[in-house]
Amino acid sequence: MRTATAVAAPIEAHGHNHWSPYVDNGGTTLAIAGEDYVLVASDTRQSDGYAINSRYEPKAFVLSNNAVLGTSGCVADAKRLCEVLEQRAQLYQHKHDRQISTPALARLLSNTMYNRRMLPYYVFPVLAGLDSEGRGAAYAYDAIGSMERVTNSCFGSAETLIQPFLDNQVARNNQRGADPERLLTRQEALKIAIDAFTSATERDIYTGDYLEIFIIDAAGVHKETRELKHD
Amino acid sequence: MSIMQYNGSAVVAMVGKNCVAIAADKRLGQRALTVDMDFQKVFPVTDRTYVGLPGLATDVKTLSDRFRMRVNLYRHREERVIEPETFANMVSQIMYERRFGPYFVEPVVAGLDKKNKPFICGMDLLGCLNYANDFVVSGTASDNLFGMCESLWEPDLEPEELFETISQCLLNAVDRDAVSGWGAVVHIITPDGVITRDLKCRMD
Amino acid sequence: MDPVTLELPHTLQRPGHAVAQEPMTRPAGPIVTGTSVVAFKYRDGIIMAADCLASYGSLARFRSENRLFKVNETTLLGAAGDMGDFQYMKHKLEDVMTHEYDMDDGQRLGTKSVYKCLSNIMYGRRTAINPLWNAYVVGGVDGGERVLGYVDLYGTTYTADAVATGFGKQIAIPMLRRRVEGRADEISEEEAVAILDDCMRVLFYRDCRALNKLRRAKVTAQGVEISEPYSLETNWTYAESIVGYGA
Repeated sequence: MRTATAVAAPIEAHGHNHWSPYVDNGGTTLAIAGEDYVLVASDTRQSDGYAINSRYEPKAFVLSNNAVLGTSGCVADAKRLCEVLEQRAQLYQHKHDRQISTPALARLLSNTMYNRRMLPYYVFPVLAGLDSEGRGAAYAYDAIGSMERVTNSCFGSAETLIQPFLDNQVARNNQRGADPERLLTRQEALKIAIDAFTSATERDIYTGDYLEIFIIDAAGVHKETRELKHD
Repeated sequence: MSIMQYNGSAVVAMVGKNCVAIAADKRLGQRALTVDMDFQKVFPVTDRTYVGLPGLATDVKTLSDRFRMRVNLYRHREERVIEPETFANMVSQIMYERRFGPYFVEPVVAGLDKKNKPFICGMDLLGCLNYANDFVVSGTASDNLFGMCESLWEPDLEPEELFETISQCLLNAVDRDAVSGWGAVVHIITPDGVITRDLKCRMD
Repeated sequence: MDPVTLELPHTLQRPGHAVAQEPMTRPAGPIVTGTSVVAFKYRDGIIMAADCLASYGSLARFRSENRLFKVNETTLLGAAGDMGDFQYMKHKLEDVMTHEYDMDDGQRLGTKSVYKCLSNIMYGRRTAINPLWNAYVVGGVDGGERVLGYVDLYGTTYTADAVATGFGKQIAIPMLRRRVEGRADEISEEEAVAILDDCMRVLFYRDCRALNKLRRAKVTAQGVEISEPYSLETNWTYAESIVGYGA
């Protein structure tokens, strides 16, 4: 039996024969939902292995219905997913003559991702907006579209660092006597998001540079940018 | 799954004001199957030095026995009690002795020295020392512990504050780790003695 | 019994031309390759450089390749990776530009549109698991705004003040972080040329697939300008003092 011969590429470094279409570009995104607002925070570092591609390449996107899509994973997929979702949100607008609601958009995102079940978008999104009662709504997904409405969620390279902290400070896990149902005020949420990222930046090499925070409420989307460590 | 994750474990040590704390979970499992919920991973070395041994349970047993033997020999030869830093170097030496067939354990040492100065350090499975003046973490929940400690720890915590901090760090970290938790123990080492408390926690 | 197989010369084995009775295979990597492209923003626009070498593995095969391509009056493209795929992309972009011209509507594609078009092609090919084995740098001036972007075989895109591919990412970017980032608006053309030449010189010293014959290009409000090939002054005397290198 002869062994399979692929093209004898004259390249020294290419011993493997299979090419993976995925890259992990690092970065972290979190969302915290409140009574009448929802917060999304993402760092803006984009990396490829140990190289920093860009210090400011945002991975949270404001959509036309004032929902924010925070992403992490493969940026090529993340950007395309965001474009597809925005296109479908606009088609909805043209068809029904009103903006798509965030819960509907959340389901649409789930379906959009599951449509690529055989070659998934390597993206772990959080979608945040206001629901029909005006309450803050955050949705968390896996890469093939499984979704859940949550009060807090974190995805990306520092998710293992930040998620336990959010469990503790937002959901108040392990805090005796604390009310786990009480939602955070926006000042509290903002402080916790900033703390989470400054801490994660200390230990995760893929998180850092700048922090973009979106707060969505009835008035619209408010964005602020802060500095994280550049190392 | 690596052999380091086979049994599951989480250990953390922290520095406070004239005190140190060391805490560990109590689970012993075989991959996803929980076998024991009262498995000891933190061992007293002297009255004021403790060692935490997260990793492969069989090596945890072997090492805790070897450390006890070596510390006893030290006491007989030197006629004094071993200092935490000396002990850390002893641990490092014992680990490095098995450089090419290591014990699958990443030890953590915590204690007060003879001047009541806090000492903590961590180590990899080959014995590479990592000194810290804030906290060290180890085990399968180490990433979670890093996130918790980095955001909850602050300098100069009094013993009771240190207890609350290390407990919150450990509990919330193991709740997001599938193979550690199922109870926890905390030791606060102060110049006046050691306070040991068992923590109740989620059993899933 | 062993099947009789026909072995093609390896240079002819391209997608769909796999050895008889074998499952179809695609090349595991690039064949004829170009190395780094380096580019950054300066006061008047974008400056970019790439050397003229197209390697065949470790063989310096073609020594007067042009890896800088003028897409239109305002857009410049630099390519690293497989030169065959680059030529395909050039044809593709020429088609796009011709099509735009044929529209005869007074519109023209700006740099951002060309970049988006290029990115979509790259992303489409990677999603079909048949990537174009390149990393591209797109530079241009779009409505008075400087645009400098990157796209690679994964469809990864980003924009930055300084962009480089391959080895340039490791060697030129740290130099450019110090000398360009945050002060792109202050850099004169003269200084930009000096910075770029310094980068290309170090790359020539350290990158075994680099050649001391390169082209430089700039895009300003006046348009795209690609230089003739030129060489850099080098100094190898210090090599004598390196243990194991010199005498």
